[in-house]
Amino acid sequence: MASITAEGLSTVYPGGVRAVDDLDLEIADGELFALLGPSGCGKTTLLRTIAGLEAAAGGAVTIGSRDVTRLQPGDRRVAMVFQDYALFPHMTVAENIAYPLRVRGAAKSVQRETAAGTAAGLSLDGLLGRRPGQLSGGQQQRAALARAVAASAEVLLLDEPLSNLDARLRLEARTFLKKLQRELALTTVFVTHDQAEALALADRIAVMDAGRIRQLGTPREVFQRPADTFVANFIGSTPMNLVPRGSQIIGVRPEYLAPAEEGLFTGVVSIVENLGVTSLVTLDCGDEQIGYVVPEDDEPPVGTAVTVDAPPARVLSYDRETGLLVR
Amino acid sequence: MDSSGLGVRRAVGFVAPALLLIGVFLVFPALWTLYIGITDYRLTGPAAANPRVVGVDNLVEAVRDPLFTNSVWLTALFVLGSAVVGQNVLGFGLAWLLRTVRPGVRRLVEGLVLLSWILPGTVVAYLWFAVLSRDTGTLGLLLGSPETAWLVRYPMTSLIIFNVWRGTAFSMLLYTSALAAVPPSQLETARLVGASGWQTVRDVVFPHIRGHVLTNTLLISLWTANDFTPFLLTAGGPDHRSEVLPVLIYRQALESGQLGYASALSILLLVGNLAIALVYLRLLRRRA
Amino acid sequence: MSPLWIVRRIGLYVLVSVVLAFFAVPMLWLASAPFDAKPGLGLRWPDWTSSNVVATFEHPYALTSLVNSLVLCVVATVVTTVLAALAAYALSRVRIPGRDLLLYLLLLLSSVVTGTAAMVPIFVMMLQLGLINSQLGTALVISGGLLPAAIFILKDFMDAVPRSYEESARVFGASPRQVLSHVVLPVARPGVATIFVWAFVNAWGNFLLPFLLLRDVGRQPAAVLLRTLYDEGGSANLTVIPVFSLLYSIPVVVLYLFVNKRYGFRFHGGIKS
Repeated sequence: MASITAEGLSTVYPGGVRAVDDLDLEIADGELFALLGPSGCGKTTLLRTIAGLEAAAGGAVTIGSRDVTRLQPGDRRVAMVFQDYALFPHMTVAENIAYPLRVRGAAKSVQRETAAGTAAGLSLDGLLGRRPGQLSGGQQQRAALARAVAASAEVLLLDEPLSNLDARLRLEARTFLKKLQRELALTTVFVTHDQAEALALADRIAVMDAGRIRQLGTPREVFQRPADTFVANFIGSTPMNLVPRGSQIIGVRPEYLAPAEEGLFTGVVSIVENLGVTSLVTLDCGDEQIGYVVPEDDEPPVGTAVTVDAPPARVLSYDRETGLLVR
Repeated sequence: MDSSGLGVRRAVGFVAPALLLIGVFLVFPALWTLYIGITDYRLTGPAAANPRVVGVDNLVEAVRDPLFTNSVWLTALFVLGSAVVGQNVLGFGLAWLLRTVRPGVRRLVEGLVLLSWILPGTVVAYLWFAVLSRDTGTLGLLLGSPETAWLVRYPMTSLIIFNVWRGTAFSMLLYTSALAAVPPSQLETARLVGASGWQTVRDVVFPHIRGHVLTNTLLISLWTANDFTPFLLTAGGPDHRSEVLPVLIYRQALESGQLGYASALSILLLVGNLAIALVYLRLLRRRA
Repeated sequence: MSPLWIVRRIGLYVLVSVVLAFFAVPMLWLASAPFDAKPGLGLRWPDWTSSNVVATFEHPYALTSLVNSLVLCVVATVVTTVLAALAAYALSRVRIPGRDLLLYLLLLLSSVVTGTAAMVPIFVMMLQLGLINSQLGTALVISGGLLPAAIFILKDFMDAVPRSYEESARVFGASPRQVLSHVVLPVARPGVATIFVWAFVNAWGNFLLPFLLLRDVGRQPAAVLLRTLYDEGGSANLTVIPVFSLLYSIPVVVLYLFVNKRYGFRFHGGIKS
């Protein structure tokens, strides 16, 4: 168990691209931490730099009280689950799970016991003799997790752990992952491009763009008060309304807007999209389009004029020049 | 950092032994040919101890040497007849026809074609020597003219047929995989509009496999031009009538002992190879 | 099924039968003559006997030459496979300076410098090094010729091994040697097997290099001895040649059957496999 600290960390690819750019970050002991951002934002490179698979061009990585910046991946006491799981196809599930112990030269009997024990904890019993190719996607993911757990590392790193699962399985696996992390109380960092996944799983989220952190905070903070228009755009399953007003940009989430006598926006209903228990209504207000969410059976007919408003605390202003949160 | 964690120094260590062998046994001899080719180096006699540099004399002599021009002509005939036409056409024909026959028949034919390719060269040369020999040879028995010594009467034709038999497997494999990449929907469209087999090949299949035809032709030409197996069947005879370039080089070098002259001939073969290989590599690069 | 269709099918099968006969007839001799009491050059139903086999085993050089072939072939094949695997792995994973140029030159070399084109300097070099009649030397010459293509093909296989396998092993603490032996080589095994078989078939059948470099009949491999046997001619050798040819062909046929069953003949950048 250990905290992770990055100080002034940079990772530069051949050709000069700064995938991680002078980045500071502290991840607390036992925390479940998300690195969130669009593809190419540097989140995976940051994770790989923590693992030691990419060399830091500058700055330092500390795990617990050890400076690991110059250490080989195998000496950092980290475990990692790759996006494609990287289960060795020629080894059985048991051999895969026990692989970290085999590398350290543990006795065969210890390897067997650890594999069996870890597999039982991740409901993989009965699959120990199979090869990865004979497992379902969900089972493969759990086998990869089991191998990482069996390494008894101080830090668990997960690269897009749920992205290879289909939508239904993903929810199940998400719940399972959170439960497992709570039980192990293991410092865990995971990379994702899916904001819903980050919001649902993480204790804290770092939203990244161009090798830097745009915002660092709890899911609630990031959702309610995005630090700039980039984060505002990126977080939330329906995009935030961002409307220029003078030198500022007004930002309101569709979920916080409701019909009112008077309010922020007035327009004509142009489109209604069914989201299940709610619907997303789009209003044409002159040049702008404003979205707001209504409960089922409350959808206004297309063509009616509607005025919507939000509680003052939920209306944010951003500077039009810098895009930063003003209030 | 590389994914293997080897680092450049260890990686160089991994590559070095292979490069050493290639350097000593392939690159050095190739370069040395260039030097030996401009000397009068001989296997025995005074020029064996103290070879003299004679410059381009060897090359000039080669161009004037009727044996050399004869051999270039025979090599061209050999390449054209057995590779460019023979293996190409039979290989494509087999790949095309075998798509539609029963799987058992297909496996049998493919198996035999492949076997004729991988059996040792000396064995297959003897098998054909047996087929083509006088008195009791199988071909003579089949055609009812046992007194014909086919290898003596028709040495080049025999070599060409032999090499088609020996080398068609490669073209067959290449065209089979090329044909598998032709979209079935296009073949079906051709069938729907009532195209004949030949029209389908010309209008649908050929545009797809044009690159493969060129690749295949270049590779099999290169290999055929460098094939030493004709030596095993006819040893160049009778009377130089089947003396292709590799056989001529061998006989000049080891039977006549004229190492310098034989090297000059090798240079010409190397230059020919280089020309074909450069075209081939450009083709590969353009496709990549 | 129109009449035209039936005529076409018959035509197709006649054509296939002719091709089948063309490829089969020369080979049938290899099945009949070894066991024929009066073996000739022509094809005929044999009077079954095993005396040819006995005669072949009693021939002073027949078995020796097969052992020589095996020694030559095993050395050349192992050297080629091991060195090519190491080089291909390093070239696949590490950006050694000048790597792309090196790969280009390897591809060029593998096609331009053939044994035929380089036979004179190879012979002269081995003569001056005093390596004429050295089986090890001959095996290394064969390896040197096979290596460029072997590296090139194996690199394709290594490139197809996901990087995440090695990275995963490294995160769990595996050393470069362990990464190679635990993960990369087992995963790339079809490629290594392909190169092994390819190198074996090539070295086994190679005639020119041993013919040039091994002058002592006690050291010559089967390829050269077979040529000597039929060059001498005479009916006496007709008892030995068929059986000897068959014995000499068996390893290749066995390998062929093995590969066909295990992997199927696929296409690997233009080589025999």
